[in-house]
Amino acid sequence: MITAERKPLAEIKAMLAPYRKILVVGCGTCVAECASGGEKEVGLLASALRMDAQIEGRTIEAHEMTIDRQCVYEFIDKLTEAVGRYDVILSLGCGAGVQAVAEVFPKTPVVPALNTTFIGETKESGLWVENCRACGDCKLGYFAGVCPVTRCAKGLFNGPCGGSKNGACEVDPDSPCAWQLIVERLDSAGRSDLLEAIYPPADWSKQQGKGPRKIVREDQRSES
Amino acid sequence: MDQISAGLNITIFFCRQLDINQDKNRRAIEKELGPRVRFFPLPCSGRIEPLHLLRAFESGADMVYLIACPEGACRYREGNLRAKKRVQYAQKLIEEIGLEGARIELINKTAAMPANIGAIAKELLARDAKVSTSAVRSK
Repeated sequence: MITAERKPLAEIKAMLAPYRKILVVGCGTCVAECASGGEKEVGLLASALRMDAQIEGRTIEAHEMTIDRQCVYEFIDKLTEAVGRYDVILSLGCGAGVQAVAEVFPKTPVVPALNTTFIGETKESGLWVENCRACGDCKLGYFAGVCPVTRCAKGLFNGPCGGSKNGACEVDPDSPCAWQLIVERLDSAGRSDLLEAIYPPADWSKQQGKGPRKIVREDQRSES
Repeated sequence: MDQISAGLNITIFFCRQLDINQDKNRRAIEKELGPRVRFFPLPCSGRIEPLHLLRAFESGADMVYLIACPEGACRYREGNLRAKKRVQYAQKLIEEIGLEGARIELINKTAAMPANIGAIAKELLARDAKVSTSAVRSK
């Protein structure tokens, strides 16, 4: 899941300053799960913007809509009928969602209400943790399902640094030591032999340095 | 000056578990004060959402109360504890737009308070007004 947090209201207001009719658009997938961009958050932000304008003596219209996904055209298309009536779209989608909406409606300014933060997991209600850097070269099969690139503060590939205390990371005592988890889980799965292997440095060219990445699956594409 | 004399509109969300006769017991105040006081019974205070609280202000409330069971006495174990956090979150949201956080108040019922929701509401309305008319309503 992609996680995000709402920008400060002052920053959002500054971006919206030239506009009066605002379409506040939520996304019902990742950012709804992390309570930053779903239907409820759209309601909260639109309500805050309307009240703020009223307090300042400005007149705005802030209409609320939430679509299932802001990163897929078929869902974005649900906005088509409404968009023409607004001066601006305030997107509560992740960065991918904002860009996809902007591409579909090039004549309408689209501004982000969220800061996209990381790919993570819902650990418990109200707690999300980063556990994937989308490096493009997943080695979780060798590391007992714990990513040392993301979850080890030092990104170590070949064993622990030795600085952990009581299973906690020395850089951030609130985080478990990724290598302690890897060793314990490999032990309990009877695969501690994997610890003997030497892993070469990660190939970061699969993640960066070549512009935006693409995945092409011809079997999934339409003919037209 | 009490809150009604100060011209405030009051919205009261409350846990229905507090008073099994809540429907009857709030009628007298509703009749007397009309739309100046609005009651919203909840199955548990933990049902409250920050959005409910913001919408109350948008609809003209100057002061919003959420009346919950005493801590440790929630029928659903932690509903009133969740309500407390949501009230705190909503307070931050309204402060962002320049309204005082004190406009939202969580009241945990105590043994000294009456069991009748109407009587509790009367006690709240009789309190000194800590805020003036909301800027959302008055502009």
